Amino acid sequence: MSELTDLYQEVILDHNRRPRNFHALANASHRAEGYNPLCGDRLTLYLSVSEGVITEAAFEGAGCAISKASASMMTETLKGKTLAEADALFQRFHRMVTTPPDQPVEDMGKLSSLAGVREFPIRVKCASLAWHTFKAALANEPITSTEQT
Amino acid sequence: MLPYKFEAGTPNIEGAIGLHAALDYIDGVGLEAITAYERDLLAYGTRELEGIDRVRLVGTAREKAGILSFVIDGVHPHDVGTIVDREGVAIRTGHHCAQPLMDRFGLPATARASIAMYNTREELDVLGRAVRKVLEVFG
Repeated sequence: MSELTDLYQEVILDHNRRPRNFHALANASHRAEGYNPLCGDRLTLYLSVSEGVITEAAFEGAGCAISKASASMMTETLKGKTLAEADALFQRFHRMVTTPPDQPVEDMGKLSSLAGVREFPIRVKCASLAWHTFKAALANEPITSTEQT
Repeated sequence: MLPYKFEAGTPNIEGAIGLHAALDYIDGVGLEAITAYERDLLAYGTRELEGIDRVRLVGTAREKAGILSFVIDGVHPHDVGTIVDREGVAIRTGHHCAQPLMDRFGLPATARASIAMYNTREELDVLGRAVRKVLEVFG
């Protein structure tokens, strides 16, 4: 059962119970909807970007504990980051959740709590949905889906 | 010979033979016996899940097929599915390709166990324990 406790770590359960930045952002400069049609997870991400820096990040939506916790932690992490730093984080996060479970991954602090999805292949998209929605928002794509390539 | 010479490819011969064998098997067991057995399992599983705190069954018509759709207060069905799977029970979770109905009930997703003639009461006991395990994990 250790894989289950790796997946549902206390930090993830906490962000699921009390998601941070869980609201709409009236004056957002970027916004996108992320959707996983296979499971029904749906979230709307709001960003305020000013002079290349993410000043605000927030989200709304319905999804499983993993997708909600991932979005919650992502919005916390992105605030105050430059777009270049945020893009690097996206790359690192993506690498972390797609590395095979028997290989080591780099420490990403709080975000590392999501590395447990690697033992549950169908849950990887739950963790990465928020991050792909973030990329879509910056690219001014209003809707992104986990089933697009 | 017409029209067969215009049929492209090989017909699904093994499929037809397989279907025949399956129908013979069902006839051998007897539809009434299957119905009675599944009803017993459904009643058993319903009692099992109804007895668990924070679990709500969705779809409680008196006459229904062997389906147990349920939601757990505060836990998303995908998380239920992952934990129940690890306990050895495969269930379906999500909107079940029935989005209009789910919208009507105001539900983003449910967990759903299906019961058929090859299932047993013991398996429903495992499901019950697995659902209790979900509540343990999510506190």
